[in-house]
Amino acid sequence: MATILIVEDDDHQQLLYQEVLQEEGYNVIVARSGKEALELAQRVTPDLVVLDIAMPGMDGIETLGRLLSKNNQLPIILHTAYATYKDNFMTWSADAYVVKSSDLTELKKEIERVLAKRGEGKK
Amino acid sequence: MPPLSSTDVRRLKLIAMVLAGGQGERLYPLTRDRAKPAVPFGGIYRIIDFTLSNCINSDVRRIFVLTQYKSSSLDYHIHFGWNVLSPALGEFIRTIPPQQRITESWYLGTADAIFQNIYTLEQERPDLVLILSGDHIYKMNYRAMLEAHFAKNADLTIACIPVPREQAKLFGVAVVDTDSRIIDFQEKNPTAPTIPGSPDLCLASMGVYLFNTRTLVREVSIDAKTDSQHDFGKNIIPKIIHSHAVYAHDFMDMNKKPIKYWRDVGTLDAYWESNMDLVAVDPLFNLYDPDWPIRTAPHQAPPAKTVFNDPWPGGRRGLTLNSLLSPGCIVSGGFVENSVLCPGVRVEEQARVTESIIMDGTVIGRGCVVHRAIIDKGVHVPDGITIGVDTRADRDRYVVTDRGVTVVPREMRYT
Repeated sequence: MATILIVEDDDHQQLLYQEVLQEEGYNVIVARSGKEALELAQRVTPDLVVLDIAMPGMDGIETLGRLLSKNNQLPIILHTAYATYKDNFMTWSADAYVVKSSDLTELKKEIERVLAKRGEGKK
Repeated sequence: MPPLSSTDVRRLKLIAMVLAGGQGERLYPLTRDRAKPAVPFGGIYRIIDFTLSNCINSDVRRIFVLTQYKSSSLDYHIHFGWNVLSPALGEFIRTIPPQQRITESWYLGTADAIFQNIYTLEQERPDLVLILSGDHIYKMNYRAMLEAHFAKNADLTIACIPVPREQAKLFGVAVVDTDSRIIDFQEKNPTAPTIPGSPDLCLASMGVYLFNTRTLVREVSIDAKTDSQHDFGKNIIPKIIHSHAVYAHDFMDMNKKPIKYWRDVGTLDAYWESNMDLVAVDPLFNLYDPDWPIRTAPHQAPPAKTVFNDPWPGGRRGLTLNSLLSPGCIVSGGFVENSVLCPGVRVEEQARVTESIIMDGTVIGRGCVVHRAIIDKGVHVPDGITIGVDTRADRDRYVVTDRGVTVVPREMRYT
């Protein structure tokens, strides 16, 4: 079972994503901030990270860089309410960019795609 | 398509990134205390001056120099010597040491050097990025490369130089079709294919890349997430020729000689030879063409001087032939031929210096014989010492190259 680390500062969204992804059969762990995400990723080594961008303190872009500096092959999906970061070069090292929506189909699809790609790479 | 004017080039959203972080291990001991681009060259220059001069002469005026190892003297040289552009007009030459923004390691390769500076690209948002090396001696008009890039509607244009087929093993070789589109790229392959119509020549990459920024960022970001060597020549280019419009550009050499001149002075022998290319009567590489000036940090020193004119042979006679003599040098009763003397060198009476490079402030004592040698800065060679004549004996004391060039490190003491 793949372990997904969700990095999300909003409590309600945290709960929502956790429940939905658990229903999909993933093992889900949650970090409330970039800093917490870095600590968790060191301890748990998730198979994929779903990373919010606009967070108090260390934002998702900074967190993305630091996560990759520890493990450059860690799959990361940026998950944000804003489409504007998509053109920011700093976000291009993420494996996918998903704009938040009440419909989580795209997020689920991208998680599946990125995990499958990673699986292929390991064969 | 009309040619680009100076103004056209300045109006482009173009930045140059000069890779100046190489360790230059094969130039040791010249790189013991300095980065390779900061190694003195041709008397008054540093190696990086050639690339920076090419930029200025081509109207490329937004330049980042990515430094790394032992960058202190390089940094000083650029701040002191290249403070010539106007930041108020959006023009600059800026050095950037590794920021460790997205990784905790130093640059793992040329592509990683760009990846680690994506923040800078995000701040500048250029349309085009010209990637240059701070290690090469050449005179190239980058404007012609820009024109070719636009004419082909390329994603990436790679400057190339035709080299004899036998040298294919030394370079990344671009295999092109008749339209100059790169259809294969082979790194250091002795049997790489030749240029269509020229069975004796291969097209060697000069490590000069003009990228559309989005292609560059996309590709280095993808590459960063692999365990490749993070190198343009080895990893990025061989991959993207299949998915993007990648063209070779036979570079416009401003040296005005029958054979194009471009040297990667990567080894001590190559370094010595390319300095010797400057001293010939008709030098292979011309520093004196006002149409393509090579500039450097201004150096305050009195005029070079020769002293003594006693009857010769036998007497003291300050004589310098077929050599580059920098400001502040005094050839005081010694003999200098086919050599490059950097500023402030002193050659004492009855000393003989031939086919050598003597760096700043070094003193060649009375009666010394120096042949085919490189003597770094601040060495006081005591009277009567012989360097480069008996290379076997020299090996006990100095670095001696495969081709028999003796290298004396900076501030070596003879006590």
